[in-house]
Amino acid sequence: MLVSRIEEGTVIDHIPDWKADIASRVLRLDKLAKMQADVSVVILQNVSSRRLGRKDIIKIDRWHVDEKDADILSLVFPNITVNYIDEGKVSKYQPKVPDSIEGRIRCPELNCISNTEREPVIPKFATLKRERLLQCHYCDALLAFDSVPEYVRP
Amino acid sequence: MSPSADFLGRDVVSARDFKRDQFEEILLGVEDLEKNRGSLDGALKGKLAALLFFEPSTRTYSSFQIAAEKLGMRVSGFAGPTGSSITKGETLHDTLRMFEGYGADVFVVRHSKMGAARFAAEISDTPVISAGDGSREHPTQAMVDLYAIRKAFGRIDGLKVGMLGDLRYGRTSSSLAYALSNFDVDITFIAPEALQMRPEVTQLLKQRGVTPKKESALKSVAGDLDVLYVTRIQKERIPDPTEYERVKGMYEVNLEALRDAKPSLKVLHPLPRVDELSTDIDETNYAQYFVQAAGGLPLRMVLLNLILGGAR
Repeated sequence: MLVSRIEEGTVIDHIPDWKADIASRVLRLDKLAKMQADVSVVILQNVSSRRLGRKDIIKIDRWHVDEKDADILSLVFPNITVNYIDEGKVSKYQPKVPDSIEGRIRCPELNCISNTEREPVIPKFATLKRERLLQCHYCDALLAFDSVPEYVRP
Repeated sequence: MSPSADFLGRDVVSARDFKRDQFEEILLGVEDLEKNRGSLDGALKGKLAALLFFEPSTRTYSSFQIAAEKLGMRVSGFAGPTGSSITKGETLHDTLRMFEGYGADVFVVRHSKMGAARFAAEISDTPVISAGDGSREHPTQAMVDLYAIRKAFGRIDGLKVGMLGDLRYGRTSSSLAYALSNFDVDITFIAPEALQMRPEVTQLLKQRGVTPKKESALKSVAGDLDVLYVTRIQKERIPDPTEYERVKGMYEVNLEALRDAKPSLKVLHPLPRVDELSTDIDETNYAQYFVQAAGGLPLRMVLLNLILGGAR
């Protein structure tokens, strides 16, 4: 299967096989459609991989994924690699588990003040890296890294 | 002893934000005030307390109101959403901003949303004291509870404390567990599985090296306890009504349930009670809950005075 090289953009590699839809949700790629941006996205699924056996890849032409979104994706899929391409040159970005996350994920506790309409609260979480948990700054609720895709804010 | 700088202008949003020596400073202050009644009267004359109770309350509101008034403060605000602009949809954010503009020196906030106290503390430069936020915490009640325990035993260290009832949704239990984690106590959570302590609370206790035991029935541990902290199981919290009927009797504290208890056991309850704590305990040496309730007023006076730096 041939997909042409991209000159500008992002390649997210080593996504577990058949999980590209989840990665796409975490990276909030739907916003590209809303922005009517002049970008193309190719999703490759179940591609053979030396490291993983099988893997998914997302290639985004003419769009750089935000590093912070890539960091959040690495909570769910720790093995992903991110390549930014500028004028044909590839630079690798190694996503890292952040100490805190602000604004990108909503609290799983429905009764949390950060889920209250009209209150100007920005949801914030601290990461408990060893336990693979996020903890809400406001209500202390815990969210497993693996459950993050369900709580990504649009 | 003069008020330590630790307290001046500080917020009270979680019992876990306080260290042992800070709890002890508060408890000593209450002990002192009980010995020298009237010694703090008028200490905060001219200051304004804004009591913002977005959720109805009778006793917590009243104890803060009376505490502030005895300290000589003026009191403004509301005791529940009815009749306030909250019913018109005014947010916590805007309400705080408005009262800040009116010159409030301290906010006492109760809100139905978890984390509301921390949010309030972030948006306001004025000290915020949580009077309960959803089912998360009620830190000043935990201070009242600690005081009642110390008053009964002269110490907190070395005690075995059982916390019984709705630990999942009861905001006083999580605050008390955090407060007790500063002391050398043995904690047992006694509740049906569905109402056991929230994972975030046990996680935070674990980070402090405290791993409470869990039990599903009082009977198996009643004989070991020095303190039994009783909270109500709310029917609406258990999804299956037949499950509620099955478990409710297991968590009713009466003389029969305390048959194996130590004679020195003290029973605490944040009140109000419904039927989880029988009145047949009231006249026994076990009952510490009326002493506990009486501590609410001096404790809130001491706390307000420490935060606002009044005279001593």
